[in-house]
Amino acid sequence: MQSQKTEARKSEWEARLADIKYTLHLLRKNKLVLAGSILSLFFIILGFLAPILVDPKLAYPEGYPGDMYPFKRKYMWNANHPIQWGSGVSLYAGPEFFILGTDGWGRDLFKMIILAIPVDLYNAAIITIGAALFGTFLGAIAGYSGGIIDEALLRITDIFFAFPGLLLALVFAAMFGRTIETLRLAIMLVWWPPYVRLMRGQVLSEKEKPYVEALKALGAGPFRILFRHILPNSIYPILVQATMDFGGVILTFSALMFLGFSPSPALPELGNLAADGYGHIFDAPWVLIFPGLTMLLISLSFNLIGDGLRDVLDPRLRR
Amino acid sequence: MKLYEYVIRRLILLVFVLLSVSVIVFYFARGFPTGIAPWAPYIHPKMTAEQIEEVKRAHGFDKPLVEQYFYWLRDVLHGDWGLTGAWAQGRPANEVFFNHFGYTVELAVAGTILTIIIGIPLGIISAVKNNKLPDHISRIIALAGYSTPAYWFGFILQLIFFYYFYLWGLPYLPSSGASDLGTATITRIPIIDGLITGNFAYVWDEFRHLILPSFSLAFISLGFLARIVRASMLEVLRQDYITMARSKGLKERVVIYRHALKNALIPAVTLTGIFFAYLLGGAMITEYVFSWPGVGQQALRAVMQGDSNFILLYTLVFAIIIVLANLIVDVLYAFLDPRIKY
Amino acid sequence: MNKKAPNKPILEVENLKVNFHTYRGEVKALNGVDFKLYRREVLALVGESGCGKSVTALSITGLLPENAYIVDGKILLKGENLLEKSKEEMRKIRVSEIAIVFQDPMTFLNPVLTIKTQLEEVFMLQEDMLKEAAAIKKSKGSLQFMDLIKSKEKNKKQGEDVAVSKISKKELKEIAEELCTDILRLVKLPDPERILKQYPFELSGGMRQRVMIAMALARRPSIFIADEITTALDVTIQAQILHLLKELKEKIDTSVIMITHDLSVAAEIADRIAVMYGGNVVEIAPTVDLFKKPLHPYTQMLLKAIPDITNPRERLESIPGTVPEMINPPPGCRFHPRCKHAMPICTKERPKIKVVEKNHEVACFLF
Repeated sequence: MQSQKTEARKSEWEARLADIKYTLHLLRKNKLVLAGSILSLFFIILGFLAPILVDPKLAYPEGYPGDMYPFKRKYMWNANHPIQWGSGVSLYAGPEFFILGTDGWGRDLFKMIILAIPVDLYNAAIITIGAALFGTFLGAIAGYSGGIIDEALLRITDIFFAFPGLLLALVFAAMFGRTIETLRLAIMLVWWPPYVRLMRGQVLSEKEKPYVEALKALGAGPFRILFRHILPNSIYPILVQATMDFGGVILTFSALMFLGFSPSPALPELGNLAADGYGHIFDAPWVLIFPGLTMLLISLSFNLIGDGLRDVLDPRLRR
Repeated sequence: MKLYEYVIRRLILLVFVLLSVSVIVFYFARGFPTGIAPWAPYIHPKMTAEQIEEVKRAHGFDKPLVEQYFYWLRDVLHGDWGLTGAWAQGRPANEVFFNHFGYTVELAVAGTILTIIIGIPLGIISAVKNNKLPDHISRIIALAGYSTPAYWFGFILQLIFFYYFYLWGLPYLPSSGASDLGTATITRIPIIDGLITGNFAYVWDEFRHLILPSFSLAFISLGFLARIVRASMLEVLRQDYITMARSKGLKERVVIYRHALKNALIPAVTLTGIFFAYLLGGAMITEYVFSWPGVGQQALRAVMQGDSNFILLYTLVFAIIIVLANLIVDVLYAFLDPRIKY
Repeated sequence: MNKKAPNKPILEVENLKVNFHTYRGEVKALNGVDFKLYRREVLALVGESGCGKSVTALSITGLLPENAYIVDGKILLKGENLLEKSKEEMRKIRVSEIAIVFQDPMTFLNPVLTIKTQLEEVFMLQEDMLKEAAAIKKSKGSLQFMDLIKSKEKNKKQGEDVAVSKISKKELKEIAEELCTDILRLVKLPDPERILKQYPFELSGGMRQRVMIAMALARRPSIFIADEITTALDVTIQAQILHLLKELKEKIDTSVIMITHDLSVAAEIADRIAVMYGGNVVEIAPTVDLFKKPLHPYTQMLLKAIPDITNPRERLESIPGTVPEMINPPPGCRFHPRCKHAMPICTKERPKIKVVEKNHEVACFLF
């Protein structure tokens, strides 16, 4: 009896493995996904290495938080830099070379961007995972229970769908203070509804399958059925959705920072850095351009993967 | 279930959603006084302390939160949305809202039109030339579109088309505001006002101001539309009836436009409808970047100021728009696809 | 129905080999298909699922999917090799020479277009035919689709050009509409005006199939391919459709390839039957001859597997083994793993089809 169970488990894993191998094969053929994966890997590695490459203390200039403008090199661009921005730009002729100029605190923008990458990646990851977990959990319960609980959860989800997402996050953040945790929670609040619908749909269709009835007959309790059996079978679309959401979440996060919700103005974060350049777009455009460009590339790389993944996993498009 | 039964059911649901949304937002907005106090717009510096207290009592600001809600509800049902604005500059919230709504509508319409014009062909090309060069190019454009931070793209457009064009002596586009020639007064939708009064200089000026912000909006959303169209087309092109159409000897062009497109566009239409509704809420960031005097800009101000009245009004109007849009789109679906019957 | 006269064949398929690229490997779907189709005959292409019947049909009409490619062979339509033609040329051929009707009318009709749209476009593609029709209407006063059939035959015999006059787009459309109504009557659909306004899902399976047949007939094709058209229908409707086809066969000068896996359907309607197995044609013979004296082992076993109503006690014999897997098919003759008479040469070489008796061809090393 025991060996039968392990036999069954083994073939179950074999089938999954073959499926995954096929998926990877299709992914490898898709050049855009490949490009996206390489790019995102690059950023992730950069994110991990950032504290080593750049001293984090550089983000907080001497004298801060009291004196915010100690340096005489704010919004400066090297005079001997290969790229020039035309007139109206303050030029710096000193000893240091700033690859991407300096920001409003006189910090090296390039170094700040590098420090900002892990901040954005990490927060976006937490938010995405949090929203996915929460939404999936609710969706699983809604789908499996049916009846009143299902209706109630659906209505609640509907309400959240009717909210203007950004506004809700803003109101939430405005009310509860400008900490990173609040911001994370605020965005999670806005992003969880799609997962409820997704998971619920999956659970509903899995519920009807014969293996669930068999499990019930064997006496398995609802939680066991739900989490040990239904969940692994439904995980694919959730993963795809999460990967695709990641690009959007990171944009939302930095957008909120841009609008002024960062815990401290000097925090190295791409939206925050860009906000610094808001008042100076004509005389120091790099402060806005380069952090935004980095944000675009990061979001693009994850969206490429998510896009390719969706293509590949679409059952109707698989050969 | 017949069609009108379905619609009525959805409308009842709408009321329920509105009430729930209002409760939640009310709790958030009034329950945590930050920024200015909710009664600030109602008073002016010359009032004495007792007068201030009276104002507070009249609107129930001194009562517990739950009671405040019912005061607010009572006021709303009488059409009074309260005053909004900074200290002592309170103006009726709905007046402020509708002054700015026209601009948002303009931007929403322009943005949607641009999105459709560019997005749909992009999606079709992608599907028809699947996995060949045009597909890859249009996919990169589409993805770049929705990976772009809204706050960044708007500024880049301004930088290039306003600042650098000016420096290089090229005709440049205005970077902010909706018009240099004053505000619209009749329908409050500038272009329409201009057309009605025959003031074509005004219309043209408005149009020039509209170009950059609507393109900024469209660039970000056309990617999404193109993806949906592409996926939909790909699925349709695999269908048997497409093989059938080809077997009749129809030209490939006819096969795509007469047979495939109608089927493929149905999900795209629904998406566009929802998207338009969303834009009607005012794309906050775009309005902020371009100083566009729309409803989104006002909402942002309201949040920063802790102005609960306006936030409530804005949120509820937005909820109505979204739910109605969903409803309209669902009904539209029934008309487009002859197989669906209610 | 003249099968005795030695006609020149209207269609010749020679050594057709077609492969498909798939993730799991190359599917060698057609392994050298040979057969001829003569004028005014009904040739049935019979075989199990997966033996390559539909692939053959798609190859003839030029509708193979993207991952298919022609390895070798020729398809000669009136002497011209279709495989060498450009896409545009093939498209024109599909307009007026080759028509195909598919199996499942539900999925093969566009759900969001009316029957009228889908039928009319077939007519609108053939401007010359419409002009012919206008001329007929002018001279005769009324218009029926059968008139067009007759006029095509007349033109073929006399080799004349029909008088082509200038006709407006609007008139063409009107003529097309009339023809739509009339052709639906031809396929025995009641109340054609109403049907034209309907959508495919509003019709029954049998009605949809008739519409598809009408769409094929509308082209006055030289070759009419019916790909399993009765398979999706229940038996009574099946009988009706076959009956319709037989009637039409009488009236219309066209050659029919009837693809089916059901021998009884073939027996009902075909003049000759070609039996396919594993991507090859293994036997071709006139219907009666095939049933009386099947020569190929596969055909013999097929016939034994059909229950005989006159002999209820007979034991049904099934064919041992399974259909060959097409990515790594058996070498030599693809039937040899299941064949009682297999010889060593069968595992090495593929038998070519050759005439063994009058009009009776077999591909087997036994002969």
